[in-house]
Amino acid sequence: MDVTFGEDRELFASTLREVLDDRCGPAAVRASWDDPAGRVEGLWALLAETGILGLLVPEDHGGLGMDERDLVLLLEELGRAACPDPVSEHAAVVVPVLRDLASEASRERWLPGLADGSVVATAGSPVDRPVLAGASADLVLLVVDGALHAVPGDAVTATGQAGVDGSRRLATVDAATSADTLVSDDPSAVDVLLDRGAWASAAQGLGVAQRLLDLTVEYVAEREQFGRPVGVNQAVKHHCSNVAIALEFARPLVHVAAWTLATGRLPEGTVPPSADVPPASVAASMAKAAVSDALDLACRSALQCHGAIGYTIEYDLQLWLKRGWALSASWGDARHHRRRIAAGLGLTAVRSGG
Amino acid sequence: MNVVVCVKQIPDPADPGALDPETRTLKRDVKLILDESDSYGVEMGLQLVDAAGEGEVRLVSMAPNNEVSGLRTALAMGAESAVLVSDEALAGSDALSTAKVLAAAIARCEPDLVLAATESSDGYTGTVPVQVAELMDLPSVTFGKEITVEGGTATVKRQTEAGYDEVECPLPCVVSVTAGVVEPRYPSFKGIMAAKNKPVEELDLAGLGIDPTTVGWAGARQEITEIAEAPAREAGEVIVDEGDAHERILAFLDDLKVL
Repeated sequence: MDVTFGEDRELFASTLREVLDDRCGPAAVRASWDDPAGRVEGLWALLAETGILGLLVPEDHGGLGMDERDLVLLLEELGRAACPDPVSEHAAVVVPVLRDLASEASRERWLPGLADGSVVATAGSPVDRPVLAGASADLVLLVVDGALHAVPGDAVTATGQAGVDGSRRLATVDAATSADTLVSDDPSAVDVLLDRGAWASAAQGLGVAQRLLDLTVEYVAEREQFGRPVGVNQAVKHHCSNVAIALEFARPLVHVAAWTLATGRLPEGTVPPSADVPPASVAASMAKAAVSDALDLACRSALQCHGAIGYTIEYDLQLWLKRGWALSASWGDARHHRRRIAAGLGLTAVRSGG
Repeated sequence: MNVVVCVKQIPDPADPGALDPETRTLKRDVKLILDESDSYGVEMGLQLVDAAGEGEVRLVSMAPNNEVSGLRTALAMGAESAVLVSDEALAGSDALSTAKVLAAAIARCEPDLVLAATESSDGYTGTVPVQVAELMDLPSVTFGKEITVEGGTATVKRQTEAGYDEVECPLPCVVSVTAGVVEPRYPSFKGIMAAKNKPVEELDLAGLGIDPTTVGWAGARQEITEIAEAPAREAGEVIVDEGDAHERILAFLDDLKVL
């Protein structure tokens, strides 16, 4: 298998980085706290123009017809910028789930608007309650009574919820479902939704963790104590190195999951835990478990190496710290996904709740 | 409406190259990118073609080693094609040599309008656009901040120290545009993919009919006699407030003649 990306995908990523550097810098992310929908002003339209929102929408529905291998580096960039808009839920969760599971009528109804950005979509995780942008999205994909529904924003009653990260506008959502909103009542649809969400938040989490590491390395090289940079102390170097190692181990899992979501199979030579477990679920859970652990370590180390200043609201590190905490826990934390893999291996004796 | 935009591919300013002590010129063996100051001309050209409802933007560039990555950026923004002149004999070209090459390449495109940046971000000579105009015997307007074209005439708002002049000029003409006057669009992913298949015509001096002894080191009319390290930044003056800080700051600013 080939999981290298090639020039085009790297150009997509550098273009998105440029857009986000220009329009979604720390000041813009802070300004989103005061926006009723928690969004960065003007960013959505620019992102729509780049094509990221409809990257996975088939060409005959107005998208670019690309796959997860084209998307994964872009999700990392969203994390690197701590982008508060629900781009990942929209482009990496709702779009492919509707593309793969919805009826033709429902695809016709939603995909063109999702591709051009005129419809803003979000998705609710089947394992945690609050939905990002649940109160402001035009379309919410979520599980109600075990069935997957795509519910228009006006059929949703959202209650705002405080989260650790001020730039993630969360809400719990009650949805008026009907035959019209039903996407699939096959139990496997819930797993498909979780696979997508777990992978997308893992990919963003990589970007967040990398940014935390970069900021920390920069800081410890500058900050002096006793006449020399604190970064020359071995204990500080070890913190940074440990994060770098965790990221190096987590990154290939995220990239392999992209490959598996795009092709429907695990890389050659990989033994699937059992024929009953879809390859995408294995790959997505492995990726999310590794990234959640790496992200927790990155947050802890970044905060410790920065000292008290890292905790202050005026200092930008907190934007990524809090995003890291939020992404690590959302769409299932590391423990949830390790249990999911264990269950796939037939290790059903694992006790719950411990 | 056919617009030619002169673009330069330069070493990434974020990762500045070094000067070669032998040739006393910038080392260009690194990856080259589109000069940001050229992106304004590209954007302006695209807007003018859009407004005209027909025509296209072509790029003309001169670069060592057939470098095209910077051109791809401009093609991804929406330019239709590019002409790239590369030739070993062009090493060491001064502004006039560059203008000769560009003029010959532009002439092949038969444009209605030629746009260029006011100056490049690595060389800063600021003379190439007017030299191109002179060599092609075309009228030239410098420091354009806004261009409208109607009925064979370009109306250009030309930036001045006090504001702007509005000048009219028959087409075809050469206009140099100042940086920051329009907001260059970001390339879309579709544009990035399409750019790969857009034609880039690669030419050498023979292809343009230019005598190699009139350009490059051989034809240079200028010589770089010396290069030196930029002086280190000097420490600033710290004013400690003893009740008279405002007066001392005013005196300091007065000395600089900024008040």
